[in-house]
Amino acid sequence: MRTSDSHEVSQLNELKIDINALCQGAHYALSGSCVMVEQMPIFGGYAGGLEETAIVDVATTLNSFVMMQGSWHLDGPVHVRWGITTAREALAVAGHAARAIEENTHLILGNQYYTLAGPCTVMCLLETAAQAITDTISGREILSGVASRKGVYTDQFTAMEARMMGEAAHAVAGMDLHDVNVILDKLVGMYEKDYKTAPAGKTFSECYDVVKLVPTDEYIEVYNEAVKILTELGLTYWNK
Amino acid sequence: MKTVGKNVTVFDVYDRAKTGPKMEEKKWDYEVIPSTARELKKKYNIKMDKTVIVPEDKELINNLFQAGLEMLETCGIYCIDTGRVIKYTRDEILHAIESAPDHFQYGEGQEAINVTPRAYNDTKAPVIQGGPTGSPCSEALFLPIHQAYAQEPIVDTIVDGVLQTVMGKDPTPGSPWELMAVRSEALQVREAQCRAGRAGMGL
Repeated sequence: MRTSDSHEVSQLNELKIDINALCQGAHYALSGSCVMVEQMPIFGGYAGGLEETAIVDVATTLNSFVMMQGSWHLDGPVHVRWGITTAREALAVAGHAARAIEENTHLILGNQYYTLAGPCTVMCLLETAAQAITDTISGREILSGVASRKGVYTDQFTAMEARMMGEAAHAVAGMDLHDVNVILDKLVGMYEKDYKTAPAGKTFSECYDVVKLVPTDEYIEVYNEAVKILTELGLTYWNK
Repeated sequence: MKTVGKNVTVFDVYDRAKTGPKMEEKKWDYEVIPSTARELKKKYNIKMDKTVIVPEDKELINNLFQAGLEMLETCGIYCIDTGRVIKYTRDEILHAIESAPDHFQYGEGQEAINVTPRAYNDTKAPVIQGGPTGSPCSEALFLPIHQAYAQEPIVDTIVDGVLQTVMGKDPTPGSPWELMAVRSEALQVREAQCRAGRAGMGL
């Protein structure tokens, strides 16, 4: 690792820490490294509901810069029932916390991505787009992902989800906040009814030619289907 | 914001973790956190509408920030190893925010990027950090998986996955195999970035 790489240290839920993390923080401080402090507040966890979790998220984010002298904070509000960051409530917590901090400070904020659906599915790409849109229009600086299918299944993630994260972010940067909120509400409504039947998707080796490192025609078609939906919702990025 | 003698450091935090007020962890989790958050929600009249995912109301935005600031000041941070609460003053928090970096360089050479603050309505897009974000990767596919991210032009830096095994062994936390796995992850991401023609890319 170089000092210009992000050196990660994590807080614990909620507003907690352990000594080992402080030792990591001390090492990073003494080595002059870029420090990324991570923590994922739980909606429906110790804090409680939407507003309470958003308040804790703001407090947790500020703590990264007090406790560890962080260079940036990596957020990731997660839904207690679904274990994802793309649920409406998780997005609302992230969107509110980021916007509150962006308005009042110059702090550098990131967010991490955990979808319910797996790679090579439209649902996974729409979940990813919804979060990228939320993060972009709430003023975050770094989008980090994607841990598809909750990030717990071996090799079940691909660079195509990261492509969507990037393209959706570029698509809405600079757009009117209210207009984007209307799009977001519709977009989340398209997948949130499908949580119980979310498709598992495919593994990396089923999505890519693992020698040439190109995505399969099938995944390109799925990607284009997601792009068509986003374009119909009002994003013009892919019309160029 | 009043003058403070010096900013809080992680070393000060450690000292406070050894000397702060004692508390049971259950009391922290089930009483202090929920009751303080609830009180601050009421005090600052925070009401969120789930259909408006990013707030448009400036008063709500500023009240939420004040509530979060007060949450950190009121509660502090609980250290699970010492069973003590680490407390900060409001001015210590404000000074830390004020002196936090407003930019940093991520990566090196021609792939280095300068990370700077952006506003919610900025036409500048966020930095795209592509990767599996700590998800488990098989040893056989770790390198090609990460090369696939590095070769995406829209990806600026890499966030890596974790090796599920290293030389067939389980990298149990706290074991020598864990060290082998972590080193191997970093080296393979570097190789993946080089193969994609993006040496110097941040990790």
